[in-house]
Formats: sequence, structure tokens, C-alpha cells
Amino acid sequence: MLSQINSGFGYWNVLVWIVFFAGISSFVVWIRSLGRMDYKRNTDQDEIYWEGNEVPSDGSAISVPASSSYWGFRVAMEPLYKLLDKFHSGSGSDYAGYFVVTVALVGLLVLIGGK
Amino acid sequence: MSIQDHLPALIVMLPLLGAFLTPAVASLGKKIRNIFFVLFSFLILLVALSIGCAVFWGSPMVYVMGGDSFAIALPSGMSYPVRILFEIDAFGALLALCIAIASFAGALFSVAYMDKFSGWKKYLSLYFMLTAGALGMCVTGDLFNFFVFVEISSIASFGLVAFWRDKPEAIEASFKYMLVSQIAAMLLLIAIGTLYGKYNSVTMAALSSMMADGFLERVVLALVLCVLAFKCGAFPMHAWMPDAYAEAPTGVTCLLVTVSQASFYGLIRVCYSIFPKIAAGGVVGWILIVFGCMSMFFGVMMAVVQHEIKRLMGYHSISQVGYMLLALGVGLVAMSDQQNMIAYGFTAMKGGLFHAVNYSMYKALLFLCAGSLYYATGTRNLDKMGGLARNMPWTAGMFVIAAAAISGLPPFNGFVSKWMIYESSFAIHPILPTIAMITSVLTLASFAKVFQAAFLGPAKTGFVAVREAPGFMLAGMAVLTVATLLLTFFPGWFISNIFEKAAGALVDNASYVRAVMGGI
Repeated sequence: MLSQINSGFGYWNVLVWIVFFAGISSFVVWIRSLGRMDYKRNTDQDEIYWEGNEVPSDGSAISVPASSSYWGFRVAMEPLYKLLDKFHSGSGSDYAGYFVVTVALVGLLVLIGGK
Repeated sequence: MSIQDHLPALIVMLPLLGAFLTPAVASLGKKIRNIFFVLFSFLILLVALSIGCAVFWGSPMVYVMGGDSFAIALPSGMSYPVRILFEIDAFGALLALCIAIASFAGALFSVAYMDKFSGWKKYLSLYFMLTAGALGMCVTGDLFNFFVFVEISSIASFGLVAFWRDKPEAIEASFKYMLVSQIAAMLLLIAIGTLYGKYNSVTMAALSSMMADGFLERVVLALVLCVLAFKCGAFPMHAWMPDAYAEAPTGVTCLLVTVSQASFYGLIRVCYSIFPKIAAGGVVGWILIVFGCMSMFFGVMMAVVQHEIKRLMGYHSISQVGYMLLALGVGLVAMSDQQNMIAYGFTAMKGGLFHAVNYSMYKALLFLCAGSLYYATGTRNLDKMGGLARNMPWTAGMFVIAAAAISGLPPFNGFVSKWMIYESSFAIHPILPTIAMITSVLTLASFAKVFQAAFLGPAKTGFVAVREAPGFMLAGMAVLTVATLLLTFFPGWFISNIFEKAAGALVDNASYVRAVMGGI
């Protein structure tokens, strides 16, 4: 079949997923259709509710910058990130060194490694 | 004799011709230059498609330069081929097709993206040289020519990464890449020279038929393996990649993604076709698996905390290459035992090749989306972007498709190839798919961050009047989107007609040798 593959452990059929998504989408559209359409346009009912405060006109005042995303993850993984930052020193001689050391290690493994 | 017989030569000759014609054609005006750029790239794509059709539904193509006949690899009385020789099997044709698609998409994109910049003659010449180098790596049948094509693509990419000479970061990125790349190139030359000294041949098929398992051969294998793993961005030799990808003009980054795949091609060709006696079932497969796992995990860990969009995607490239190395490493480990090969090894190889093609398409598309954002906003810093989906709906839509695909969300193509890799690597050890799945979750997290930061939320004050990318840029992105969607909706067709044949070409080493050496 054009859309189905077998891995030897199981199978994947993209059409099944498309039917599944179509079903879920229909359900979502049905839920949305239950919403009230009789709200008054261009009044307070139409405004974004922002904890009772006026919504700032500049988007940057109310959005989380990308560098703050996953702040907790970064703090939790601080020891690893310290190592990784040190590793990515930006120095060309460091990068050449990593390459040479890797070649030496791989060479050793290939030489002593059996079949 | 038909034009079909000369396709292997044409696929390298066309971009080389393009590179040398550029200075003359670019002087004839902007319109003619743009038509020439797009048309030539399209011609290269047509040739790659024709080769693909001939090889996927036929037999490997062999082309000999400078002999009495282009079809005779082994003239009478000779034990080994002595001329420049191209050999294209299903694996080579597959990668060449990916490079040609990315080159065409990058050309379309560059027409509008680079319009306001000068230096077009250099840009076009280097762009075609890079295409020629990458395509040559996938079609050549001898190791020395492989080295020559690696150098052609490297030199062109140094120039293109440093194309914006007024930016110190671009010069620095190019210099660092050049520094390590030249050390790698010297080691590659030493390795090839060593093989020539011992076996009197650099033809891959001839070497494969003679290769023994000895000290010298193992040293050569280790050198070539590391050089090509460095070129495709494997951890811990990856550090050049985020810098180079971020600083190169976006049309070039799109092509660089597939150039790294040409190095991946070389790595796999060397392990599976030239050194199978040493690599199959031994420590080499495990080295690839370890490279793969480290690249996946550390690449995505670095990506998730970046806020410079192209740099973030550069780290994701390292992580994605990890999946392919893991899959082809699993294939190598299984290769010595036919039962293991049938049980999971062949699935891993198909999954790895499928992922290589997926990666070439959706990652090139992601870079083009990033370029489109940079074109519209003038910044690559995600902190400064926001609410762009309203003004750039096409870019946003294509970004969602590519981001969902790279994150492995069903039903996209990225999910299918990852699923094949998870299932097959599980047979070796459960920790391998676990690392791969964690990587996939973190990939989703970082692309959710990019989408939220760049496209969602209220528009930033400076970007209220931002407009959608020009038509040529959208057309370049559309080419890759269509390819991604085709791979999504017809995975069964692609696997049975293309990836199975490409993986089969790697496993069936005898037919690769036989195409050049005849019955020897």
C-alpha cells in the first residue's frame, strides 16, 4: 500500500491517522459551534481579558521572550549546561583539539576492537 | 548511444559549467542572471531525477572518463580500473536527488533574498561549485575523486559562509570551519594515499574486492570515519556547524544541509562498501551508535536554550544527524549476522536513509523559513520577534509543517523514520530508543518555543507593517514543503520503491563491486 509500512514489529498507516485527525477536528468544530454567537461586537465583551488590566499596545510588554522559555529546565540542568558552555568555547584551536583527540580515540578503538 | 548514458557526467558537468559561465552571464543583467540561475538549477534537478529513475528501476550506472568507451570500466588486460570513474547505485542516486532538490529550492529562494546585495557573480559561482562538489561526492566511484569533490565543496562553502565580509562573525565562522576542515582534509588524503600505496588502486569497487583486515586498513578506516563524521557534524566534532549555518546566506544554508548529507553518504559508503570486512558486526558500528547518541542528545540540549533562530536550527542539525548515525550504526552491528539483519538491521538502515531524506527536506525548509523571518524583520533574535503569523501566513504555515515533521509528530514523515529507528534500535538495547525519544521531545519543545516566540502573541511595535516574503522565496519554500508532504502521505511507496533499494544497494556489496569489476 502507498500509505502503509511494516517495520517487522508493527505497522504504520498514515490514512488511519488522517481519519483519526478528521474525527477529532469534527469534534472540535462541533464543540466550537455550541458557543454563543450573540455577544456584542466592538464592546467590552469583545476585548481581551487581561486580569482586569488594560492590554498594553506594545506586544513586547506582555509576551515571554524566547530566552526566558524553559528557564526552569535550564536551571535544573545547570551543571550540564556549564560543561556544555565550556565545551563550546568558540576557540578554533579548541575545536581542532577536539577533532584530533576524537581521531586518536576512534583510532585506538578500531585498532583494539575485534570483529 | 543516448543522452541517458551520459547522465552521470552531466550531473557534475552542469553545475561546473554554471559556475564558470556565471561571470559572463551575470554581466548581461539581473533578469537574465536570475533566469540562468533558476534554469540551470532546474536542469540539474531534472538530471538527478533521470538518474534516480534509471537507477531505482534499473541497475547501477557506471561511467568512465577518458577511455575508448565510457561504458567499459575494465579495459582488456587490466585487472583494475585506472581511469576517472563514476558509479551511481540507488544509495548515491537518492542522496544526489536530495542535493539537487535543495539546490533548486535554494536558488529560487536566493533570487529574492539576495536581490538587494552585491557580489552576485561570486555568489552564483560558489553556489554552483558547492552543488558540483556535493553531487560529485555522491556519484564518484573512486576515493581520490571523492577527496577532490570534498575539497571543491569545502572551498566553496568557506567562501559562502564568509560571503558577508563586513560581518566579523561570518569571517570567524568561516575561518574556524576552514581550520578544522583542512586538518581533516589532510588526514583524508593521507588515508587515501595509504590505501593507494598498499592496493595500487583508489577505485572503491576494486578496493572493496581486495580489502583485507589488517593494522593499516584499520588506521585508514578510523581516519576516514572521523573525517567524514566531522564533516556531517557528529558530536564532539560539531562545533563549526551552528556558526557556519547561522552566518551563511540562507539559500546557502539550505544547500549546506544536503552537503553534510553528502559527507554522510561518504561515511556510509566507506563503512558498508569499502570496509565491510572490518566494519560489519564489529566495533565500528558501535562507534557510529555512540556518535549518534551523543550528537542527538547534546545537539538538542544546546538547541533548546538558543534564542538566535538559525543557530538554534544549526544545533538541531547535529541532533538530526545523530538519528542517522544511530540507525546506520545499528545496521552495521547487525550486518555480520543474517538473522539479525532480517530481524532489525535492514529496518534500521531503511529508517536511517528515510530520515536522511526527511532531514534534507524539512531542515532545509526550516532554514528557509528562518531566512524569510530575517528578510522580513531584519533580526535573527527570537526575543525581538512576535505575532508574525498574521502578516506572514504562508511562512507560518510552512514552518508548522516542517517543525511538526522534525519533531516527529504523527502523521508527518519525521515520525515515520524515527519510529523505524526506535523499533530497530530497541532490538540492540532499550537505552538507544530512549535517548532518541527524549531527543524528539526536546526537539518538539524547542520548535514550540520558536513558533510561540516568532509567530504567536501580539505583534511587536516595530513589526506591525511587516509583509509576507516575496514570491520567489515562497516558491523555494513550497518546493521543500511539497517534498515533505509527499514523504508524509506516501511513505509506503517511497520505502518499497526507493529506500529499500538504497538500503539493499548498501547490503549487497557484491553488486556494487560487480558493476565495475565484472565477474572478478
